[in-house]
Amino acid sequence: MKASPLSTAKGCGIGLPKGCAKLLAPAGNLEAAKQAFQAGADAVYVGLKGWSRGGARGEFDRKQLRLCIELAHALGKKVQLAANIIPKPQERPKLLRQLAELADCGLHAVILNDVGFLREVRRKLPGLAITASIGCGALNTSDALFYQDLGATAVVLPGYVEPQEIAAVKAKASIQIEVMLHMVQEFIQLGKCWMPSYLNFAAAERGDGSQRLGGSVKRGGVGSCFRICQQPWSLLKDGVEADRRLFPSRQISQVAELGEFLDAGVDVIKIQGRSLPAEMVGAIIGTYRAAADAWKCGQRSDQRTNGNRAALPVMWTVQGR
Amino acid sequence: MGPFELNTTISNLRNLRESDLSAYDAVYLGNIYCRIYEDNFLERLDDLEEGIALVKGQGLRAYVTSYAAPRNDVLPKVQKALETAAAAGADAVEVHNLGVLRMVHEQFPGMPAHIGGFANVYTDAGAEVLKEYGAVRFTPNYEISLDEVGAITSGVGMPAELVVHGKMPLGVSDYCFLLEYEKNWPEKCPTLCQKNLFLKQGDWAMRSVGKGVLSGKDVCMLEHLPALIAAGHNVFRIEAAYETPAYRLNIAKIYRAALQRAAAGGWTEDESAWNTIREHTAVGLCNGFYFGRTGAEYVGKRTQPAVAC
Repeated sequence: MKASPLSTAKGCGIGLPKGCAKLLAPAGNLEAAKQAFQAGADAVYVGLKGWSRGGARGEFDRKQLRLCIELAHALGKKVQLAANIIPKPQERPKLLRQLAELADCGLHAVILNDVGFLREVRRKLPGLAITASIGCGALNTSDALFYQDLGATAVVLPGYVEPQEIAAVKAKASIQIEVMLHMVQEFIQLGKCWMPSYLNFAAAERGDGSQRLGGSVKRGGVGSCFRICQQPWSLLKDGVEADRRLFPSRQISQVAELGEFLDAGVDVIKIQGRSLPAEMVGAIIGTYRAAADAWKCGQRSDQRTNGNRAALPVMWTVQGR
Repeated sequence: MGPFELNTTISNLRNLRESDLSAYDAVYLGNIYCRIYEDNFLERLDDLEEGIALVKGQGLRAYVTSYAAPRNDVLPKVQKALETAAAAGADAVEVHNLGVLRMVHEQFPGMPAHIGGFANVYTDAGAEVLKEYGAVRFTPNYEISLDEVGAITSGVGMPAELVVHGKMPLGVSDYCFLLEYEKNWPEKCPTLCQKNLFLKQGDWAMRSVGKGVLSGKDVCMLEHLPALIAAGHNVFRIEAAYETPAYRLNIAKIYRAALQRAAAGGWTEDESAWNTIREHTAVGLCNGFYFGRTGAEYVGKRTQPAVAC
């Protein structure tokens, strides 16, 4: 068998030490980070201004980010930084410089989307843990091994993969597996959508050293996608309207099935929603914390459910990512 | 390879047999969206073997594509398709999923890999990584411009394959909502998604193929072929996975003749070609993102024909 061409992972991700999954919360502002930590998050992920796939809403500038890192460290917790829109070649040095500065300030991990930039960060910032973003579209064991080869510390899988799929990944891959167990599943798979930019590629929006491309989820972020998939469409068959409909989408909340996912070996329980209000982040994290704590760390669960989905905030909707 | 390659996509043996491929140099076999697409080559490996032989028997190159977004349960079938491709003498495999690329690299090291449009090649750095995994050609992500494509090809030394005509992929799904209509419509899976189905909202239109969404308009780069040739591009695709054999043939004849004229340096417009293109267009023409504009726009001398779908 031919060897993979690239070196394997370094660094320590959110999910270590092994044996007990960590809870990773979204935070669009410092208050959300505080509430997430108070509710039991082990780490928060925040967007870097100008550079995050979650879009411009809820991003941190470098000052806010430093405060967040200080807060996390004071509590013995960690911060992941989402810098996961795909930078243009001329933007890569600027982003790399920012990441290097932030790593010096104690940043623990960065979430990236482009395989080329991921490798560059691995080589130039070897102490920084790297998570392959959910926008990378990883779905299977071989995907996980690819990102492991590339030097990623963790890879994010969507919350609609089944526990047995995760167990199969864990059986072969040593890379940490983050699963977005609380998320909105849109019709088009994450990382595989350019419907919005086909319909409207908006003027570029300049960020902090970056140039977001409106309409492009990959290069502008979710917030710039005009909510194409949440609008009503006419379905025409042979030119005649057969239906008026929305694209299918659904809220995934795997809190009731958390034990099965933890049994399967999930390293990090990730919650979607950097734009959520701080109190809602706290409530969601508290619910998942209780479920994770109920599952005996390191012991197999013989109960199908141990989380209370009904305890989740009712305001959580498709629009509330 | 001659001065250029013109290729297309065919999903099953029936479509392959019905198609006149005389204007093509190569064919991708298989449907990347759905396992239960009618007799998908990627599921019917005897058909795939026969299809490869049929294509190569016509003196064309036979490529085997692979699923755009496979989960673990699909990987064994992908493995079998790769084995069939290798055993039957396929000239390359197309991969959209980086895990599948890793499988090809490790288990079929002699097999050239073409990177598909869902693999998200946006930058030179990304292409460089995939080249190290055995990629010899890439379809850039459809969102990037010709200037950006040129920077990748020159920086990495890997040729790009450009969709010059047809419906551009816009997304892939895990769920086919067309199945919701089976009980009320006479059309059923696995041919339901081959019907004339469009999603419309005001002036916007997209083609629905169940687990995939394609551009409503046809990408058309006919009048820009001399510029593509001058820029050094020489691999071109007519994306016709969901089109008729007539579309596949008539559009290819136009492009083959035009590419020959452009490659010979004697570019002239063929006015009659535009009538044929209009006949085969449901909602108009666009040229995707090649000029850094909204994908549905058309940049060029030709105004797009406004035709109700």
